[in-house]
Amino acid sequence: MSTTTAPLFPTLRLRRWQGVLLALLAVVLAALLVFVIVQPIKVLPRIRLAPGFALRTADGSLLTNESLRGRFVLYSFTYVGCQAHTCPETDAIMRAVQSHLRQGRIGEVPVSLVTIVLDPENATAAALQAYAGRVGADPAIWHFVTGDPTTLKTVVGAGFEVFYEAQADGSYVFSPAMFLVDGWGIVRAAYRPVIHPPSADRILQHLNVLEREVRNSRGIARLGYEAAHLFLCYAP
Amino acid sequence: MKRFLPALILGLIGLALVAVFAFQRLRPPVFHGQIMQAGDPVADFTLTAHTGERVRLSDWRGRWVALYFGYTFCPDVCPTTLAQLAQARRQLGAEAEKVQVIMVTVDPERDTPERLAAYVRAFDPTFVGLTGTPAEIAAVASPLGVYFARQEVGGASGYLVDHTASVLLLDPQGRLRLIWPFNTSPEFMAEDLAYFLRRG
Repeated sequence: MSTTTAPLFPTLRLRRWQGVLLALLAVVLAALLVFVIVQPIKVLPRIRLAPGFALRTADGSLLTNESLRGRFVLYSFTYVGCQAHTCPETDAIMRAVQSHLRQGRIGEVPVSLVTIVLDPENATAAALQAYAGRVGADPAIWHFVTGDPTTLKTVVGAGFEVFYEAQADGSYVFSPAMFLVDGWGIVRAAYRPVIHPPSADRILQHLNVLEREVRNSRGIARLGYEAAHLFLCYAP
Repeated sequence: MKRFLPALILGLIGLALVAVFAFQRLRPPVFHGQIMQAGDPVADFTLTAHTGERVRLSDWRGRWVALYFGYTFCPDVCPTTLAQLAQARRQLGAEAEKVQVIMVTVDPERDTPERLAAYVRAFDPTFVGLTGTPAEIAAVASPLGVYFARQEVGGASGYLVDHTASVLLLDPQGRLRLIWPFNTSPEFMAEDLAYFLRRG
């Protein structure tokens, strides 16, 4: 006696056009998969809007976020009498980035450095200039700014989400964060100790990623960059 | 071979049409402003509406919100932007009711609710004007990337207010999705809005 068993998987009978359509779909899916795995385009995330501000510079003029539009801006924070190790470390990173910028290696997009000084009561024009001189700031690239306590709290605390608090001895407890902001005023990288510790190399690498996006994100290539954002192809 | 030629050509044309259709449907959209990945909702705030009521931004959850910072004495930028927003809304037809335009004043000293009401309604009766104390306005504006500063110019107007002129588009969950730079055309705004309204 012979028995016939049903096949485990029924054979899929396709018309030719259905086969072609399936093949097309497979190619599209494979291309997507390759894009997501290989990540041929790297971008930095668009984290949130950087705060709007009008703050006083060392020469008494106002620096606003609008006057920095179209530039990449690296922000850091300090206070006039800061002796804690975090301030010299941050200043050294800013100085290293500045030194690189002076050699003009970040493409066509201009870059500015801004250090927000948290103690307006001590941050006179002379004190800001002295601080800038001490850390070797080039006034054409690196700006030191401050404002009244309420404005600073709004910009630094609410805008950049950096906690800081004055102490009885005149020092400040604060998180030594740094932020990279693009020409649209969007925070593209946040550097915080432990989680994403800042280093000049890392910041310069990120500046190059941003510059490439600005330079190449045109026409059909813009779709690739938007896809990179969509699939979270972020630079480390 | 000749027998199959017409079928082959037709097949290729069909394939090309399918590819174009798939590309149109599947490609990442290209907007006329700067797109943001949908993150957390922007921080809620309470201000005074042109009706005199205290309102919260979250009161408009469920609708797309075009948020603009300007003032009624503004000589050029604000009326241009509000007129463009009104025109963009008109181009959306019936869908326009899903879009709320809100102008937050950066000149709270002069922009009373009554003055704001007359101003925003002149562009579109559905527009909302918001005001508050200078401290309230500053606390709302800065975290949204908006700067404003008073500029003394003398003369009859006394002073002008320099301010960020971008329009922020928030989705129905209150998340920032798009930033239109100043002078984005109404057609472009309407195109972007139509895409969002279609796709959500």
